[in-house]
Amino acid sequence: MSLLGTLTIAGSGMSAQSERLSATASNLANANTSVGPGGQPYRAREVVFQALSLDGDDSDAAAVGAKGVKVAAVVESNAPMKSVYNPGSSFADAKGYVQMPNVNPVDEMVNMISAQQDYQANLEAFNVAKTLALRTLTI
Amino acid sequence: MALPIDTGLEFYRQVLALRGYRQEILSADIANASTPGFKAVDLDFAAALNGATRQPNSNSTVGSRRVLLVDDDRQMTIDGNGAAPAAAANFVKYQAGTEVTLDGNSVDLDHEKTTAAENAVQYEAAATFTTQTIRMLMTAITGSGSQQSSGG
Repeated sequence: MSLLGTLTIAGSGMSAQSERLSATASNLANANTSVGPGGQPYRAREVVFQALSLDGDDSDAAAVGAKGVKVAAVVESNAPMKSVYNPGSSFADAKGYVQMPNVNPVDEMVNMISAQQDYQANLEAFNVAKTLALRTLTI
Repeated sequence: MALPIDTGLEFYRQVLALRGYRQEILSADIANASTPGFKAVDLDFAAALNGATRQPNSNSTVGSRRVLLVDDDRQMTIDGNGAAPAAAANFVKYQAGTEVTLDGNSVDLDHEKTTAAENAVQYEAAATFTTQTIRMLMTAITGSGSQQSSGG
C-alpha cells in the first residue's frame, strides 16, 4: 500500500540521517584525538547516501518512482592532517610537530544542522502518512 | 439505465490510491534530500487521474459520471493490496526549474514539504468525500428517518 510504503521511505530517511548525525558526533568527539587505532591520527568520517529502490529494482525502468535512501558507505576524509607544534608531546616528530585529526569543526556543525533539518522533514512526512492511514481507516 | 451501486466510490478509490502514491513519491524526495545525484520527481496527479478514469468511448458516460471500464493498457486497476496502480508510474515526472546543488541533487526541501502538506489535505478531502458518499448510499438504503450510517 502506498501509505505504508511512505512510512518505509520516511523511516529509511530517518535512519540514514541519524547515521550521518552519529558520524558528525564521532568526528566532533575525536577532533583532538592524535592517536587512533593503528597509531595514526583520527580521520574524519563522512557518510555517502544512495537512493534505494524499494523493490530492489535499480534498472533504468525504475529510475523514476518512489525510492528510499540508504547509507552506501562511510568514507574517511582525505583532507590533510593538521600539524600542531608541540615538542613536549610524546607523539611529536623530529621537528616537534604532532599530527592532529583532519576534522573541520565548521564542516561538522553545518553537517549537523543539515542532518537535523532533513531528519525533521522525514519525521514530518512519516507523521503525515500515519495520520492519512489512520484517517483512511475511518472512512 | 441503472448505475452500479459503487459508481461514485470507484472514482474515490482511484483518487485515494493516487494521492497515496503521490505522498510516497514526495516522501521519497524528502528522504533523498541529501543524496548526491538524486533528481526530484513528482506525480502529475491530474494526468494520472485522467488516465485512470478515462472513458474509452462516449457511450460509457452515464450522466455526468464516469464509468470505469478496464479495457486499456494504461487503465489502472488496483490489486489486492490496494497498492498504487502500476500505470501511475508512467505519470511520474522529474521536477523542472529547481536549483541543482554541486553534488547534482535537485530536491528543494521547502517545496517538497509544502507540496506534501497540500497533497495530504487533498487526501483527507477525498477521504471525507468517500465517507459522505457512503453515508449518502446508506441514507438511500435505510431511509432518511433511521439515520443509520457506516461510521466515519
